[in-house]
Amino acid sequence: MTEISETKIIETEIIKTEITETEVTRITVFPPTVPAEITPGIRAVAIVAVVGVVSGVIAATCGGYWLSNFTQAYCMVMAVLGCALLYGQLGLVSLCQWALVGVGGWVSLRVYHYIHPPFFVTILAGGVGASMIGMIWGLPALRMRGLYLALVTLMLAAAFQTLVFVISFPVGGPGFLGQVGASGNDRINMARPIFASSDTAYFLFVAVVTVLCIFLVEAHRRTKPGRAWALIRKSEQMAVASGVRIVFYKAWAFALSGFVAGIAGALLAGLFGQLDASAFPTTNSIVIFIGTLLGGYDVWLGAFLGGLLTRFIPALLIDLNVNTNVGFMIFGAALLFALRDPLGLGGQLTILAERLYDKFQAQRAP
Amino acid sequence: MIKIDALTVQFGGITPLDALDAEFVAPICGLIGPNGAGKTTLVNVLSGFVTPVAGTILLNDTLLLALSPRHRVGIGLRRTFQQELVVDELTAMENIQAIADHVSADRTSARREVDAAVNFVGLSERRNTRGRQLNLFERRMVEIAKTLIGRPKVILMDEPGAGLNESETERLRRLLVEIPRAFACQLVLIDHDADLIASVCAETLVLDFGKRLAMGQTRAVLDDPVVRRAYLGRE
Repeated sequence: MTEISETKIIETEIIKTEITETEVTRITVFPPTVPAEITPGIRAVAIVAVVGVVSGVIAATCGGYWLSNFTQAYCMVMAVLGCALLYGQLGLVSLCQWALVGVGGWVSLRVYHYIHPPFFVTILAGGVGASMIGMIWGLPALRMRGLYLALVTLMLAAAFQTLVFVISFPVGGPGFLGQVGASGNDRINMARPIFASSDTAYFLFVAVVTVLCIFLVEAHRRTKPGRAWALIRKSEQMAVASGVRIVFYKAWAFALSGFVAGIAGALLAGLFGQLDASAFPTTNSIVIFIGTLLGGYDVWLGAFLGGLLTRFIPALLIDLNVNTNVGFMIFGAALLFALRDPLGLGGQLTILAERLYDKFQAQRAP
Repeated sequence: MIKIDALTVQFGGITPLDALDAEFVAPICGLIGPNGAGKTTLVNVLSGFVTPVAGTILLNDTLLLALSPRHRVGIGLRRTFQQELVVDELTAMENIQAIADHVSADRTSARREVDAAVNFVGLSERRNTRGRQLNLFERRMVEIAKTLIGRPKVILMDEPGAGLNESETERLRRLLVEIPRAFACQLVLIDHDADLIASVCAETLVLDFGKRLAMGQTRAVLDDPVVRRAYLGRE
């Protein structure tokens, strides 16, 4: 009896010691310190470095099919960027983002065939056009949010799909709609800029535009509009009591979200030379929202990863000769992960990077 | 100065404010009453979130009810909410800067006003700390600092002491007393803490079921047997 009791006591002590050591180890590994503040300069360097390295690797290793898909993926990144802006900053679920990409493509093709402006003007026209339409489509958000707004925007995306099937995209023909007659030989492709005529150069050009769009959105998030959006998201009454013009700032968010989507549409038009109505299904807008949740809507890296995945997975399935509908199953499963972890992939990686940066700063300190 | 005349609010069959007359003249005025007395409804009417069915409100000779909520902010009306509403993702200073963006005359004065407000509430060393890392007292201080931006004329504070411990309430008390002098404005304090009201408010209005139960010098009002029975639950 005595022996048993002693054994028990010893075991208890060992367990106690182990628990204590584990706790000490845990505390040592993850100290509860406040992360070092990431300055705008460091964030800008991080954006350029991450997108630069990823783009460099893709440009150096991919060609043909994969290069085209990664160019499209970067356009997806811009679309997700706009979607994440609305959801992350204002809590608004917009399910018409891919339709806005289509609007941008339509406007840029229309402008290109009408006056043949420089390529930069063409993509800006696409951005401005989608921005204006985005602002109009955002009007329901002044009165509704959540599921109702999601449904209304989804219906708008479906309406665009129907409309674009009827009127199609301009191909250099006569009249406002710019259609050709019976012969498809009359179709005119939109020319890429001279310095980006090859596929690789065009991909790198799209990468640069993606970085500029990320900068644009980040600049908004970190300054006056971003602070106004944060107040609106917290409480509209509190925002009004702080002097914020709710309608103006909501419209601004929709305009900015539409602008980056429109730029993406114009770049897609530049990639293929022309666009097809079948490339703008309503389901893509839902996929973009899934990408937003999967990547994480609070950080730029989330939009980048989310956008890449939304194009990479379908492209991989096609390459492997697997039915592309499997992609929806993968996105559905991934969504479960995203719902469990609202930070998303980008949010988790950002926290990890901040911890590493914090450790680096601590080691540098005397 | 706030002058309320025959103010009536109705929500369906309920009348949260019933022909209320009141005048807030002192630099710090109190507004007390039991739960459901109509205190927050009055604050919401003053800030423009609830539209009354009858009555008028004058704020320093301006007809308040004719103005939109945002224009009321423009003429110097500020308020805090019962529930503290500090944005977790923004730093203490960014939370305060967020109101300066819209009410300050220009960037230079915005920066100056934000610095003055941060120093006044004692958050200088925590200015770059994110909202989620601030404790309740610090979050309350951020809320108060926000009301001090852009030359406020009247500040409505809805239970700023809720959830604070004794020493924090004492610090809050010292801060509130200083606000009218330091920022040349009037303060209307809504709180359940009769001791806090008694120690900082010169005048107090007591509401009960949407009606004025008493108004006058705070000490006299709190000693009124009718008020003690209705509000404090004792004679």
